[in-house]
Amino acid sequence: MQLSSEFRENFEERILQCSQCGFCRAVCPLFAVSLRPAFNARGKMMVLKDALRGKLDLDEQVLDSIFQCTACANCSHHCPSGVDVPGIVKAARREMSQAGSCHPAFTGLAQVLAQHGNIYAEEDPPEFQRPLNQPAEYVYFAGCVGNYREEEASETVLDLLERLELNYTLIEEACCGGVLGDLGLEPVAALAQANLERILATGARTVITGCPYCARTFLERPEYQPLRDQGIQVLVLSQLLAQLELPVTTDQRVTYHDPCDLGRHCGIYEEPRQVIAKIAPDFVELAHNRDQALCCGAGGGMRGAYPKNSLAMARRRLEEVEQAGAEVLLTDCNSCVHNLRNAKLRKQKIEIYTLAEYIGLLLDEAS
Amino acid sequence: MELHGYNLPDDLYYDANHFWVRDDGEFLVMGMDDFAQRMAGEIVYVQLPDDGKKLKAGKKLAKVESGKWLGKVLSPVDGELAGVNEELETRPELINQDCYGQGWMYRIRPDDKSPLSELVHGPEALAAMLEQDMAKYAQE
Repeated sequence: MQLSSEFRENFEERILQCSQCGFCRAVCPLFAVSLRPAFNARGKMMVLKDALRGKLDLDEQVLDSIFQCTACANCSHHCPSGVDVPGIVKAARREMSQAGSCHPAFTGLAQVLAQHGNIYAEEDPPEFQRPLNQPAEYVYFAGCVGNYREEEASETVLDLLERLELNYTLIEEACCGGVLGDLGLEPVAALAQANLERILATGARTVITGCPYCARTFLERPEYQPLRDQGIQVLVLSQLLAQLELPVTTDQRVTYHDPCDLGRHCGIYEEPRQVIAKIAPDFVELAHNRDQALCCGAGGGMRGAYPKNSLAMARRRLEEVEQAGAEVLLTDCNSCVHNLRNAKLRKQKIEIYTLAEYIGLLLDEAS
Repeated sequence: MELHGYNLPDDLYYDANHFWVRDDGEFLVMGMDDFAQRMAGEIVYVQLPDDGKKLKAGKKLAKVESGKWLGKVLSPVDGELAGVNEELETRPELINQDCYGQGWMYRIRPDDKSPLSELVHGPEALAAMLEQDMAKYAQE
């Protein structure tokens, strides 16, 4: 497979910036669980350098190197040479997908999304029995994981929004579509069009989401420019909750996992902590927190294509929770909570919730 | 018995979602059948609730996930969860490798086993269920 001239023009210099120092290996969550040099950023850059020199084809033999990555950006965050690893990997995946070398877990994804509107090919929409497609001040966007894998958490969050007397509506969601770009696949225009039409029809000025990845997609992807043009604000739940009075507290020892999509990618670290400070005085930080946070392993398509390594990364994160002595692990991401819950071993006495879900449960107990 | 390429022992009971139930006297043992594990693909997560969980017939006992599918395991009877296959915590693929043996999932202490009579049991009923579901999934 010949790399395109466009790829060379845009990425060759960036790839050659890698000095192969290996700083990225120390912080790569995938290398930590796999010990496979080809999977971490330095290995990926070596593969791409050889491909640029014509020594290697970007085909099935390097599929795992290029497609196995959570896009956590811990590598580029620590890279002394400033290599934009996530951007390069995304472009390399696009090259490979266009040449027909896409990971089998993703080859039909665009079709699944076009047909079913969600990444899981679920046919039946969630049954939340809440306001749907109604005029409202806020739209709550649960995202695919919130709708189809963590529905009970989403129910609790919706209960919380109602307790807080938020004038919100759900919409008939289509997948935000962000995952397609990360996997090197072409966007499905109909997804964004459907979401835009339904959000704009509500008259809402704010979209709240339980998924930082959806939030990033709405804030950054060109297909959602109309949202930004209309001045519609996009918030994750902790940003909303940080503005509100929360009439509940707990004496449980609580810690917080910084989702990569919220933390390293968006720089949002303090609002979740401000919320926790209101409700949980006994708070401990994990050893790796804020911009140093370890990835839960769910992102970048890992959970779908490489579940064993995905869950291994989550287990590694839970070991830090045990070391911190926390009873409760909170996070502000449906995907993180799903992967961490799946990874938790029976012997680990850790309760795992999204921040909003936990507040909802505390309010339930108090009432 | 082998039926259309699927291994479906005819001494077991089967629910509509292709979970098998074996009557082990004091306990019932549950797992996924060969048709279900093949349709699901590689199992990546099996929810393993705590022993002692109270169970109601027809209500969710646990969840199972593959890369592309989430399934709900429904309890066949009223009773209590008496044990789980802890191997599945780190080796959920045992369900794909040996769904009737090492891939067993849950052990139940039933209050009353009579609801088993409502499950699919015996070669003829099993064949009818399988053929119906093969046709259904082929259309999808």
